[in-house]
Amino acid sequence: MARSLFAVVVAALLLFSPVSAQRGGRGGPPPSPRGAAPVDLTGQWVSLITEEWRQRQFTGVKGDFGSLNVVLLPPARKTAAGWDPARDAAAGEQCKAYGAAGVMRLPTRVRVSWQDDTALRLETDAGTQTRLFTFGPPQGDGGDWQGLSTASWDYPQAALAGRGFGAAPGGSLKVITTKMKPGYLSRNGVPYSGNAVMTEFFDRFDVPGGDSLLVVTSEIVDPEYLATPYWTSQQFKRETDASRWRPTPCAAR
Amino acid sequence: MRSARGLRGLLVGALAALGTTLAGQAPVIPGAPTGQAPAVDLSGYWTPALHEDLMERGPGAELADYGGFPLNEAGRLWALSYDPSRVTLRHHQCEAYVTPYQMRALGNFRIWEERDPYTQRLVAIHLWAQTTEGHRVIWMDGRPQPPAWAPHTFRGFSTGRFVGNALAVTTTHMKNGALRRGNGVPQSDQATLTEFFVRHGDHLTNITVVSDPVYLTEPMVRSSDFARQPVDPGAWLYACDDGEQILDRADDFVPHYLFGKQPFVREFSTRYKIPLAAGLLGAVTMYPELDTRLASATEAEGQALLSPATGRAAETSRALDREPRDGEVHVLPIRDNVYMLVGDGANIVVQTGDQGAFVVDTGEGKLADKVITAIRGLTSKPIQFIANTSFRSEHTGGNARLGDAGQDPSLLGSFFVQAAPRGVTGFFSDPGAHATMMAHVNVQVRMQAANAPAASVPADTYLEDRRRKFHNGDAIEFFYQKDAVTDGDSLIHFRRADVIVAGDIFTTTQYPVIDVKNGGSVKGEIRALNEILKKTVYRHQGEEGTYVVPGHGYLADEHEVVEYRDMVVIVRDRVKAMIDTGATLAQVKAARVTADYDTQYGANTGPWTTDMFVTAVYDSLKSGR
Repeated sequence: MARSLFAVVVAALLLFSPVSAQRGGRGGPPPSPRGAAPVDLTGQWVSLITEEWRQRQFTGVKGDFGSLNVVLLPPARKTAAGWDPARDAAAGEQCKAYGAAGVMRLPTRVRVSWQDDTALRLETDAGTQTRLFTFGPPQGDGGDWQGLSTASWDYPQAALAGRGFGAAPGGSLKVITTKMKPGYLSRNGVPYSGNAVMTEFFDRFDVPGGDSLLVVTSEIVDPEYLATPYWTSQQFKRETDASRWRPTPCAAR
Repeated sequence: MRSARGLRGLLVGALAALGTTLAGQAPVIPGAPTGQAPAVDLSGYWTPALHEDLMERGPGAELADYGGFPLNEAGRLWALSYDPSRVTLRHHQCEAYVTPYQMRALGNFRIWEERDPYTQRLVAIHLWAQTTEGHRVIWMDGRPQPPAWAPHTFRGFSTGRFVGNALAVTTTHMKNGALRRGNGVPQSDQATLTEFFVRHGDHLTNITVVSDPVYLTEPMVRSSDFARQPVDPGAWLYACDDGEQILDRADDFVPHYLFGKQPFVREFSTRYKIPLAAGLLGAVTMYPELDTRLASATEAEGQALLSPATGRAAETSRALDREPRDGEVHVLPIRDNVYMLVGDGANIVVQTGDQGAFVVDTGEGKLADKVITAIRGLTSKPIQFIANTSFRSEHTGGNARLGDAGQDPSLLGSFFVQAAPRGVTGFFSDPGAHATMMAHVNVQVRMQAANAPAASVPADTYLEDRRRKFHNGDAIEFFYQKDAVTDGDSLIHFRRADVIVAGDIFTTTQYPVIDVKNGGSVKGEIRALNEILKKTVYRHQGEEGTYVVPGHGYLADEHEVVEYRDMVVIVRDRVKAMIDTGATLAQVKAARVTADYDTQYGANTGPWTTDMFVTAVYDSLKSGR
């Protein structure tokens, strides 16, 4: 009796779940990640460097860690103390500040587009980098500057919404990036390791007056170099004028 | 006894009904305005993650580093003029933070919901910030914004709605304050703040978008991160009382730097080996183009940015017009039985009670009948007293009509009626049959000299520094300001209600109308503003407490007065410094000595222009007043 009642409850919950209708469809195949997107992140966006301005707009001197001071472990300070941009350039590693954990903090424009129905592509004009956010199992082995990024849609966590009763609107893109080639969190050589894991949320906000903002909230966990998770949020403004796209190669300084 | 199948049927039906109800209504709470569904729960304790701008948010930003801020010329000059030691002045010591600054401050936050106990509708979301004990209320019940003439607070007036997975908040009615800690980057009282709160697990991000027509060329966007704390951090208070920090300073001393004389302006650029112009170029400093822009920047360009650009017309105010201009008279309750009436020229104040109404200033008189109607809506008693802060027609234009509509029962049948000399006309006659009008004697003299109608001229005058009257249960004091904007100005203080009516000594809309020909002076104006500040007491963190009714503009407190006082002192100092070097009036005007204030108060047309104000300051100083 109890088992059959439970089955009835479950059946009723599923039957009246609008989430299934909105995000998966009823009786048909689930929509592709592109079709299920709760927010449109595509387009060209320009970074607004309004925080950590000096450190992000100019390459700091060796040992100038800015706010990173609060999270660095001694090995990170030691490595940063040995920063030598000429050596990086000579070694062909001038892109160390343009890896996934650093490039979103640089002054740059980004272009977001769907590579196909299951992967979003994010390009930067600073350093001419490409990040690929793949929904589903990661593809490739990683080990390059941008590592492996796994994407998913993150829906609101309102009471009941998304859990069977009612779907709250909106949502975020969640991206987890691993297997990055060791690089720099800032252009003056503050390091992150190959074991770093970066979790990002991409949110879009439309502001009265017509501007749209893309805010990328990130957490970087790196047991080798960081004492605590490193939390930042970067804001970008949508651009309709694509002419300002200015691809430039990586620069070690 | 029901069968198991029947019970299952009932359950299915009940759950179906429940599911239909919730699914059909989500995410909107029944009866709530659209967008009020709680799409995100922000409740709890939050600690800021100081992984960005740590130095700025703690010790404070470096001087002359305005990079990343889209400052216009006025904003840049305001910041360059700012001396951080200004916070040693008594009235600046305990000022709270305006909301965009507060959200970047150190210290914990606590967020909780307020719900109607009967409907459980979400009424408001409260935020308590440890620093400055900043209590924000974000109204979620769809209530309208206050009128333009309502008081401003550091936190402002906020309304919210859920948009997607975020709480979107709009805030207006903020005071002017700092947009950044410590180095003078300003935010004006005209700023509008748009915010988004989005939560990802225990990571809360607050995005602030400040639009400020006075000091910014485009919106200023920042984002701040907070970590949820599972237990109460326990530190929520931030006590502050002001005191004497530096003794024996004159009342009219305000720390600031003359244009081009900021002594530390090169420290930042020198220390970090970047061009002087880098931190001064405004909006371009936020974008990737900064590197190419700086490639062409010269030392001379950086030097030029330290002073107002010359050879151009003065900027004009970009502030909101505070006048309703709808042909109606609007009533704003101030405190207890004191009200501000807006809409007919200068602001009018009405005190009501068991006795007749006590009215301070009567406006232009164009809407006098509506003013009378509004007063009758506040009290059934007659208008008994009319006090004028000034002789100007914007303050006395309604005297005759309001006086005629009033009555002074304290005189009827008294000695004064019996003794009224024959042949006396106007309001010197028939005492008690109309409201009694009070003012400093110079108001009477000036109005008579201007051939004002006798029925509009105050007859009950005082000559020296103070007049007092107990009326409607309150002690009302007049304080004569002998040479402020004219030679007949009075401050009028309702002591119990703690409301000061400032007349045109203080406005929130324009430079002070210093009428040198009618006895006004810049020194007297500063003295009068300081006189207000000697009487005010803030309730909490530099705001509220004593209310100050300006001649024009929104209901203020001491914060607006001290900022206005600072402005007059600073402009005076600039003009005086030029006079001391032998500058002519034309040279003073060409130097644009008000450039950092013109987008707030400036006018190039109308009855009181920036040019006229600078002329008044110059003439006043040249004559030693």
